[in-house]
Amino acid sequence: MLQSLIPQSPINSTDPNNSSSSMKSKRAAGDFTAGDSSSEDPSSKRASYEKPTTETDSRGDDGGEASGLRLLGLLLQCAECVAIDNLNGATDLLPEIAELSSPFGSSPERVGAYFAHALQARVVSSYLANQAIFQALDGEDRVHVIDFDIMQGLQWPGLFHILASRPKKIRSMRITGFGSSSELLESTGRRLADFASSLGLPFEFHPLEGKIGNVTDLSQLGVRPQEAIVVHWMHHCLYDVTGSDLGTLKLLTLLRPKLITTVEQDLSHGGSFLARFVEALHYYSALFDALGDGFGADSVERHMVEQQLFGCEIRNIVAVGGPKRTGEVKVERWGDELRRVGFGPVSLGGSPAAQASLLLGMFPWKGYTLVEENGCLKLGWKDLSLLTASAWRPAD
Amino acid sequence: MQSNSSNNNNQPQTSHTSTSRSSDSGEACGGGNKWASKLLSECARAISEKDSSKIHHLLWMLNELASPYGDCDQKLASYFLQALFCKATDSGQRCFKTLATVAEKSHSFDSARKLILKFQEVSPWTTFGHVASNGAILEALDGESKLHIIDISNTLCTQWPTLLEALATRNDETPRLKLTVVVTASIVKSVMKEIGQRMEKFARLMGVPFEFNVISGLNHIGELTKEGLGVREDEAVAINCVGALRRVEVDERNSVIQLLRSLSPRVVTVVEEEADFSSSRYDFVRCFEECLRFYTLYFEMLEESFAPTSNERLMLERECSRNIIRVLACDEENGGGECERREQGIQWSGRLREAFSPVGFSDDVVDDVKALLKRYKAGWALVLAQGDNHESGIYLTWKEEPVVWASAWKP
Repeated sequence: MLQSLIPQSPINSTDPNNSSSSMKSKRAAGDFTAGDSSSEDPSSKRASYEKPTTETDSRGDDGGEASGLRLLGLLLQCAECVAIDNLNGATDLLPEIAELSSPFGSSPERVGAYFAHALQARVVSSYLANQAIFQALDGEDRVHVIDFDIMQGLQWPGLFHILASRPKKIRSMRITGFGSSSELLESTGRRLADFASSLGLPFEFHPLEGKIGNVTDLSQLGVRPQEAIVVHWMHHCLYDVTGSDLGTLKLLTLLRPKLITTVEQDLSHGGSFLARFVEALHYYSALFDALGDGFGADSVERHMVEQQLFGCEIRNIVAVGGPKRTGEVKVERWGDELRRVGFGPVSLGGSPAAQASLLLGMFPWKGYTLVEENGCLKLGWKDLSLLTASAWRPAD
Repeated sequence: MQSNSSNNNNQPQTSHTSTSRSSDSGEACGGGNKWASKLLSECARAISEKDSSKIHHLLWMLNELASPYGDCDQKLASYFLQALFCKATDSGQRCFKTLATVAEKSHSFDSARKLILKFQEVSPWTTFGHVASNGAILEALDGESKLHIIDISNTLCTQWPTLLEALATRNDETPRLKLTVVVTASIVKSVMKEIGQRMEKFARLMGVPFEFNVISGLNHIGELTKEGLGVREDEAVAINCVGALRRVEVDERNSVIQLLRSLSPRVVTVVEEEADFSSSRYDFVRCFEECLRFYTLYFEMLEESFAPTSNERLMLERECSRNIIRVLACDEENGGGECERREQGIQWSGRLREAFSPVGFSDDVVDDVKALLKRYKAGWALVLAQGDNHESGIYLTWKEEPVVWASAWKP
């Protein structure tokens, strides 16, 4: 039901709508603002209201409702900003979201706290991903992005922003996008073209129905001379993106892209970032509510469970490159394979020894594992999930 | 100073012997491996060296590991990451303004009062200065019948009830007390009216003739005047500066101290947190290291003092995040009375000696402070400044690190 609150095409709005104004569903409001047994500080610190007296009345006018709704609205607004790479807009909203939430408060406040943190982390990682791309494209004025599974193409507005704001103007910006549905490819292409033209970027879109692994000839990709090629490769655990692993690797060897960005993502929660976010918010609201009933308001145990388990899960769902739930074998294999065909990871400048000693020093406690292996940085949590940092370039 | 703290800029070093580890050990904050300070320091260095790929890689790692709701390392990583990120994206000023505006909006009399009182209940961080200052003020104004205390602080008058009680229970005639509070933090202004009413009521109950004034319209302390403060010739004036001088722009500090001198006080009490963000303000890495050192101590202290699920602790931590961004990611030149560049006791002493001479705390006052510290968890101690180094005053130490400095001065 929360899905109905999301505007249809967030990518078209440069100024995200205030979602709280579109809230009509009583059920949704009730889900998020269900009263909670916590009797202490957290709510009483708000100047504008008193604690709700009845837990079942969701039509109530008291501030508990108002605060929960406001928090929900802000979260969605922030998520929309992140989805279209409006990092400044997202950053402006985060302080207020944080102020309205607390891991030691009522259910909505606790959910809000973890989602706020996840969004904050996402803002930072989006910025960093953009920086990596920016650096890789330094000095290039013709860019060709090949996206192995473009879907709605929500990854690309961020790049458009970067390229549009560079002093050295881009002469050509092309995206070749793979997908399974020609209708989706077409609408994605149109949307991206609109966005590019609003930024004054020269843009071409080349849709390819099918999978990259089946491409045997570079000419099928329309590669032109003097282009900086960026390959974007999103791994899914649920279905096969590439079609033929061997074929893909052969192609990458021929292509020798300037930069390959890979992302591990668990898509069992949905497709686009925004849809995933909304679904997760709904799910965890219910879950935190349930937890809230079972433990006392002050419960340290509940806090530990929420912070260590759900905080991580939420973070993983919201962050780009969340951990995949399948085993690590697949990841290692790709790393090796890429290496085998002549790519090396983009990593710290400086000697490998300096790298290694820096990384060896990092041992976070409380269930995280951090492993440096073959130049790849692997982050794990309680052996359940792995995130692999990945950006690769030709190793010459 | 006889405390055996190590060089302020050193990070505690830990050794590592394996390439990867995982742990669920509930190790107390600070007992672990300090991964956060290593990563953060590396990142600060990379920023000053403008090594952008290293900066981004370290920010990425910090981002992955940080959490404002985790252990100390995770919290420090989270709040300092925010400052580093602001610095890298040149958005410190904007971020600080947003954080300050939001905090102000959600601040109420109830929440502020609850926060301060809870903090005082679990930690002597603020009460140390109160007890020492009150002792010095009472002794300096002994025998006077018209007292005027100028309180330049943001402590919401939590210092004064005990002083009012002391005045009321004296053997001789109860003097009149005029209390003029100068408020510098914008967050505090809105709640002063209610505080004033409570103070007046309390003074009535104590039977102390009492007058209360608030001055909050200033852009900075340098604008204070004798007339503006309502200082009269027949009054015995005491000036109480708690966390006030650090809010003054560094270049204006000496002239503000001269201004205080011009008010002809009988005594000036100064309380400040023991850190130096001032002498290194043009050296990013040094300033960063000192910031990290101080806030690591502070966060560890907060974690050991409060319950694990405390919202008050969370609010104090968030306040730190504003200050960290202000010190590390905002330009030197902008006013607004929220400077936050702390100096150490020895530095303040050097400045104050230009206009005042130090007054030692009497044995009685020192005993009072020691008695206060006994009421809290172990780890707190009082250390006297070494007079021969031109230092004066007393330090509150936590785990043998000096954290708060209190001193008294006369013209």
